[in-house]
This record gives sequence, C-alpha cells and structure tokens, in this order.
Amino acid sequence: MLVQATERVSTGVPGLDTMLHGGFLPRTANLIEGAPGCGKTTLGMQYINHGALHDEPGLILTFEQFPEQYYRDAEAFGWDFRELERRGLLRVIMSSPEVTRADLERFNGRIASLVGRMGAKRVLVDSLSQFERISRDPVELRNLIHGFLNALKREGLTALLTREAYVLLGDEEDDESEASMGFLVDSYTLLRYVEIESSIQRAIIVLKMRGSAHDTHIRQFDISRGGVAIHEPFRGREGILSGSPQQMAESFIKAFVRR
Amino acid sequence: MEQENLTSRAYIGDMDPELLDFLNRYVDSFVKWDLLRFFHNNPHTIDTVDNIARYAGRNQETVQQELADLAMRGLLEETHMGSMVVYALAANPAIREQLARFIDASDDRQFRVRAIYHVIKGSY
Repeated sequence: MLVQATERVSTGVPGLDTMLHGGFLPRTANLIEGAPGCGKTTLGMQYINHGALHDEPGLILTFEQFPEQYYRDAEAFGWDFRELERRGLLRVIMSSPEVTRADLERFNGRIASLVGRMGAKRVLVDSLSQFERISRDPVELRNLIHGFLNALKREGLTALLTREAYVLLGDEEDDESEASMGFLVDSYTLLRYVEIESSIQRAIIVLKMRGSAHDTHIRQFDISRGGVAIHEPFRGREGILSGSPQQMAESFIKAFVRR
Repeated sequence: MEQENLTSRAYIGDMDPELLDFLNRYVDSFVKWDLLRFFHNNPHTIDTVDNIARYAGRNQETVQQELADLAMRGLLEETHMGSMVVYALAANPAIREQLARFIDASDDRQFRVRAIYHVIKGSY
C-alpha cells in the first residue's frame, strides 16, 4: 500500500491536481510529454504562473524559445510574466543544456544564486528534448539528465519538464529514450492528440507517479482563454493512446465476431 | 572638415547626453547594437558564443569579438565554466536601466538616424 504524502505542490491546472491526488510531490522531477502544439508549454507556464501568484516564485529554463515568446504567449492567457519578473517572482532564463548543466555543477553558480535570492520553488524546463543533442550514447545521456534533475532537486525546486513526442497521433515506436526517461523522473504524464469522429481532441494520462497513487483514467483536456483545463475521462472508447480510438462495441465485434 | 563638424553637430548636437555617453561607451558597431537589443529583450540569457550567434542570426567569429569587447567594457559578464566561456548581461541595475533607455530611444526614428550616423562615423 502506498503511503500518501500530505505535502503537495498544486499545479494550478483545473483537474490535474485531482488526477495527481493533490499535486506534484515537492522536490520532484515531473515530465510532461506530448506532440508539438498539444499544450506542454502552456501547461508548464500555467504551473509557473500559479506558483508565482501563491508565494512560490519560479524559473523558466528555455532551451528553444526566446523569452519574448513566453511573455507574449502568457499574455494571451492573461498571465503577466513581465510584471512577475519585475516583482522578482519569475525569471525566464534562456540558455543551452550544456551551459545550464555546467552552471548547476558549479558551487554557487548563477542559477543556484538566483534560486536563493528569489526563494524559487518551481522550475519549468522547456524542453528536456534538447539534452538529446548533447550525446547519442543512451547511457551517457541518462547519466547526464540524472545529474541535472538531481541538481534541480538539490536546489529545492519542484520541476516540470517538457519533452517532445515526435509523432502527432498515437504512440512512438521503439523510443529507447522514452523508456529511459520514465525511470529518471518521479512522475510521467502523456498528452496525446486523438481522432474521434473526424475531429482531433486532446487526451491526458498520468502514467506514473513515484510515491503516490494517481488517477489512471485517460481524460479529455482543452486549452482555452484561462489555459489548460482537464475534463471527464473518455467513456465507451478504447485504444485512445493509439490516436484512433474505437467504440467499445466496435472492438468487441472485431475481437469476437467472425467475419 | 568644417562641413563635417557642422553635420556632426547637427546630428549629435541635441542628443540626450546620457544616451550619447552610452553610444560612445558601448555601441561602435551594428553587431553590438543587435546584441544589445538581444540582451535587452532576453535579459536572463546565459550562453556560449556559438549559441548567442545562432540566436542573433550572426556569424560566430564576429559575435565572439563583439561579446568579448562588451564584456571588457562592463556591459556583459564573462564567465568561464570548464572549457566554456559564457556571456550574460551585467547584473548592475544602473547598466540595465541605461540599456533600457537606449533601446527605448532607438524606437524613435529621429534618434535612430542620429545614432546610426554616430556608429558609421565612429567606424571610419
């Protein structure tokens, strides 16, 4: 039986805390993986914004997008990142995985000093996929990411990390690094596009959460003016993660009725 | 010669002394100007020459020289991390304030024309 930790870090995403049985566990690394455009960064920004407004300042470590893009995208959801920066509740740091890692390895490096000065509690790392260009050796890559995640925890940060899935619909085939990443992180959430009756919908599932029970349903979510919101589980369908779910009845017929 | 001085005065004469001082101290090339704008827009960037060159869409060799020069003049901070040399905007609030004033002023066409003239003249 799992012992339920009482202290949780609220994500600020309606419905996600319920899926996580209260939120992330403090000082953990939490991976959100999904296809381009499915809402990983929005969910991450929402997590950071929620923290900043509730006495938990945060950092965004960006390896891909320019900080200007975050300010602009956040504004579209009514989150004023420039104002949060002015108040010392947020820093959007643009860097590369190599430099960030080297900086965190130094005693009292720039990021560690900043975390101390701001009292930062949260970090969004966008995206972990960029680490994959440092090394093609899976063992070296795994060690590298392991060290990086431990450094974030050492600084007292609860991390939300995004990772790109390279297929738009359904599961990736034989993705070794995906399996390896699942071991390294404390929680692992998948975002997927699914095709239902000729329209594309978004699905979310928490695959793993170390040290805690979690919701195992595949739920629908959408992105609207207030950000990401999670809804009811998909009902009466299976094969959601394959990207093209079927009605249960169709599956039953396919499986059991001879043609 | 006198004609040139008159032209120069016409362009620079009534420029805000603080902005003129900033120009004289830090902006002697258009690549530097570009880099200053980049660091103003992305004030918490910490990265290597090759990455900054890539972000700025500029040639690495040129950027390397300009970054080193801006660090020597105190606008950027240069840090050695193992084999890497990384650059970040100086933390000094006064410098950041001056940079913000310069970038804001650059949005004004009249100021920009004068500043461009100053950079070109300085590069002779």
